[in-house]
Amino acid sequence: MLQVKAGNMDAMSLLFERHNRPLFGFLFHMTNQREASEDMVQTVFYRMLKYRHTFTGDGEFRSWMYHLARNVLVDHSKQNKRSAHQYDLADIAEKIGGGPAADERIQKEQELDALYGAMGKLSEENREVLVLSRFQELKYEEIARVLNTTEGAIKVRVHRAMNELRKIYLTLENGKTAYKL
Amino acid sequence: MEKLPINCDQIKDQLTDWLSNQLPDAERVTLETHLAQCPACQAEARATRQLWQLMGNVPTPEPSPMARVRFQAMLDTYKETVNTKQESVFNNLLTKLRQLWAPNYAYRLGYSFVLLSIGVAAGYWFSHPGKTTVAVQQQQIDTLSTQVQEMRQMVLLSGLENPSASERLRAVSYTEEINQVDEKVVDALLTTLDNDSNVNVRLVTLEALAKLADNPSVREGLVQSIARQESPLVQSALADIMVKLQEKRSIKPLRQLLHDDNLNHLVKGKIEQSIRDLS
Repeated sequence: MLQVKAGNMDAMSLLFERHNRPLFGFLFHMTNQREASEDMVQTVFYRMLKYRHTFTGDGEFRSWMYHLARNVLVDHSKQNKRSAHQYDLADIAEKIGGGPAADERIQKEQELDALYGAMGKLSEENREVLVLSRFQELKYEEIARVLNTTEGAIKVRVHRAMNELRKIYLTLENGKTAYKL
Repeated sequence: MEKLPINCDQIKDQLTDWLSNQLPDAERVTLETHLAQCPACQAEARATRQLWQLMGNVPTPEPSPMARVRFQAMLDTYKETVNTKQESVFNNLLTKLRQLWAPNYAYRLGYSFVLLSIGVAAGYWFSHPGKTTVAVQQQQIDTLSTQVQEMRQMVLLSGLENPSASERLRAVSYTEEINQVDEKVVDALLTTLDNDSNVNVRLVTLEALAKLADNPSVREGLVQSIARQESPLVQSALADIMVKLQEKRSIKPLRQLLHDDNLNHLVKGKIEQSIRDLS
């Protein structure tokens, strides 16, 4: 990124190759809107170019990228207040396909179903730390840099989010089971 | 060293750290030791781990291949805008110079050269025949003036035959305007001098002929005319001209004229004087 800052725009292609997938993943898990996420990936990379002078090189590029992505997300959610966080289940079910056995697969599907539901019900804040730590596999330290806070605060937030998720997940699982019976 | 008994709540709080491998080694050992002893925490850990693993199974869709294309397009566009902004004056100049040699300009340049050479050729073409035109014009003028001369001769010749004396006078006066008098005109004038009924016409004709005295046939005609003249005015005028021209051949006819009985005595004296001057 420092090369980009120095004027070597082609270095940006390399950064895109390396980071566009994780970035897309983050945006997708945050919004669960495929097309919107792709649009936002473009926006994030555009902002990287536009605000390349603000990249100090102190932190990691990845933190800066997620930092920009969060801003883009905020803009996005402002524009789409109505759109709820809803997973496209059919889409996801397709991805899971090919499990060892049909039963197991169906069970897994149901579990994932519940998880998505739970994720969707989490607050933006909690979902964010969970996506960053579990899906993007960022260390607490790095998440703290992205969110401009301390490692300790992140730790607490992750625990809280995890507990919350578990609670919702269990409710959903039980509810479904109850419904089934 | 026996470890401090740890709170089950603390363990719960560390489960996520443990699952994400972010627990320092010492704490991890403590946690794992506790888990081995505490069934409640074991159950808790199992549930959390299950969820954690389930989360790990969440598929992340692949971004569409169009993303890369879009990114490259965006990058190229951005590079262009940046380049135009940052281009130095020198680069601008260089680009403009290069543009000057771009095919478009080269075509225009070639076109202008072609037009220019056509213009030069045309100018040369028109100026060169111009000389011949002048020659032709000169020739035409010459022809015209010759024709005008011929016209005047014609007018003169026909005018001399005009019944009106004044017309004949005018015809004679054309003699001065005719540059080269040919034999025809001389003959006509001499005939007029000898035979014209009007004295004034004869006198004017005489004057005109006197101016043409360089012509030998005119001189001869004048000398011969002396004997044919009857008017005293013409006779004395002729005598004067003979003196002026110092024409020796005129002495003989003048002497004969003295023998003429009808000769005016004033003219007689004048002629005698003339003969003396000539001899």
